[in-house]
Amino acid sequence: MGVRSALARLAAGAPTPAFVVAGAGGRWAAEQLWLEPRIAPTPSPRAADALVVVGYLSEGLLPAVMLAHDQVAPPRLAFQWLPDGAPDDPLAAMVPGVRVVEGGSLVEVVRDAHAGLLAGRGDGHEDAWPDVEPAPWRGVGPYGQGGKGMTGGVPYGRPLTGRADDRDGLKLDRLDVRVGPVFPPFPSGLELVVGLQGDVAQDVSVADNPFEGTAVADEVFRRALRQAVPIAELEVARARSHLRWLGGALRVAGLHALGRRALSLGVRAAPGDADRVARLRRSLARGRGLRWLAGAVGVLREDLGGPVGRAAGHPRDARSEVDEYRALGFEPVTQEGGDALARWRQRVAEAEQALRLARVAGDATVGPLDVVEGPRGPLGTGPLLLDLLPDLLVGMEWGDLVTTVVSLDLDLEEAAVRAGVPA
Amino acid sequence: MVALGAALVVFLFWTGSFLALRWAGDALNPPPETAPSRVPFLGGRGPETHAWSRFHVRYYAMALVFLAFDMEMVFMYPWAVVFLEEGLMAGFEMLMFISILVLGILYGWREGAFRWA
Repeated sequence: MGVRSALARLAAGAPTPAFVVAGAGGRWAAEQLWLEPRIAPTPSPRAADALVVVGYLSEGLLPAVMLAHDQVAPPRLAFQWLPDGAPDDPLAAMVPGVRVVEGGSLVEVVRDAHAGLLAGRGDGHEDAWPDVEPAPWRGVGPYGQGGKGMTGGVPYGRPLTGRADDRDGLKLDRLDVRVGPVFPPFPSGLELVVGLQGDVAQDVSVADNPFEGTAVADEVFRRALRQAVPIAELEVARARSHLRWLGGALRVAGLHALGRRALSLGVRAAPGDADRVARLRRSLARGRGLRWLAGAVGVLREDLGGPVGRAAGHPRDARSEVDEYRALGFEPVTQEGGDALARWRQRVAEAEQALRLARVAGDATVGPLDVVEGPRGPLGTGPLLLDLLPDLLVGMEWGDLVTTVVSLDLDLEEAAVRAGVPA
Repeated sequence: MVALGAALVVFLFWTGSFLALRWAGDALNPPPETAPSRVPFLGGRGPETHAWSRFHVRYYAMALVFLAFDMEMVFMYPWAVVFLEEGLMAGFEMLMFISILVLGILYGWREGAFRWA
């Protein structure tokens, strides 16, 4: 027993491996967990001891979260974080053993529960889904393959893959996989149905948005549609959004240390931090890995508005039409190329520019505005990048596909509002 | 006889170790495997097709490029020795040989064998 408790104490000193899911209204709070040294977010629930849902679940997200919960190896823990004083989430009851934590104490609660789990307290063996296969194993051969030849059976109700043509003339199996909606490299809620031949996507479609029908947070960009807001607040929010996106994107690219730097800057960026962003921009420009990774990948040359359009050299920005911004000497920055790398550079340049604007703006206000330039383009207007995804992604190798999806800074919650659901 | 005995001891030792490890793994913490936990993690959805499939290994193009350059060298060394004796004829033969190999390299190029990944 002594050895066991000593080992448990030793294990409790390590960060808690947790599978983090960002629900509605939880994108940035979930991102912040990456800065927490006592929590180690995992790329898959299998590597985790705890499931942490940050924000609200939705009808569309719930089945996926329940499956991710079951895939955390038992004994497991489950938490839901909600902001202070927020109403309860009725859907959380579907996740067995979930503990709802409000406000700032999430990390402490997770750590305490994890130490208890390692010491043998608590059980957490209950699954959210029933322990039944989707269909019985059915087959004729000794391994259930059955049917005609090797490929006629339907093991566990899942047909074997069919062969399909390919650009290199080899006819091999094409796998149809649904990736998402809680796939960590993707923005939360994005679910792609991808036809893969090897690692090349031959066919891509976007599944329903799981955030359809959820309310969206009333952030400063949305407030600017109906009332006057300080320019400094708008621009700091824009810089933070870009920098936090950058943190996540660098992490997906495997540049964890740089990602943490961008993320911590994104959490507390203030008008005086423009030079720090400039230093970050120079570190990024020095690295050649990023150029290999994102150069000439996911090229979008059209004028799509927002940073994606400006990264392709189209200087359209709703702020250019606003007198208060013109008085500050605002000029849209643009990049050339319109590839994933240009979008990276565009957002970093815009974050730096936003902080400089916030500094010179002082306490000037702007609004209410008819069109507000949000961090992802004009709010409530513009084409949905989601609709462009299938055409853009077909023919890409998986790595390029992930790089492209990440570089677009999709926000499924915002997209659900743009699609016509009121805030 | 001694060799046979030694082999037997080694065999028994490793079989015993293997079984002991298997037993220890199960005894320490038997994970109750359930149907949902057996599903591969794809981001919250189950697979729609079975895992038995012929995965398309795209890096075979790299092997092709290696073979193209390897064969080139295999032929070129002896060719270089007799080139002066044989004269223009040998040069022509090498040209034919290289142009066939170049087709393979062009195919590898189209398949992205030279792209950084």
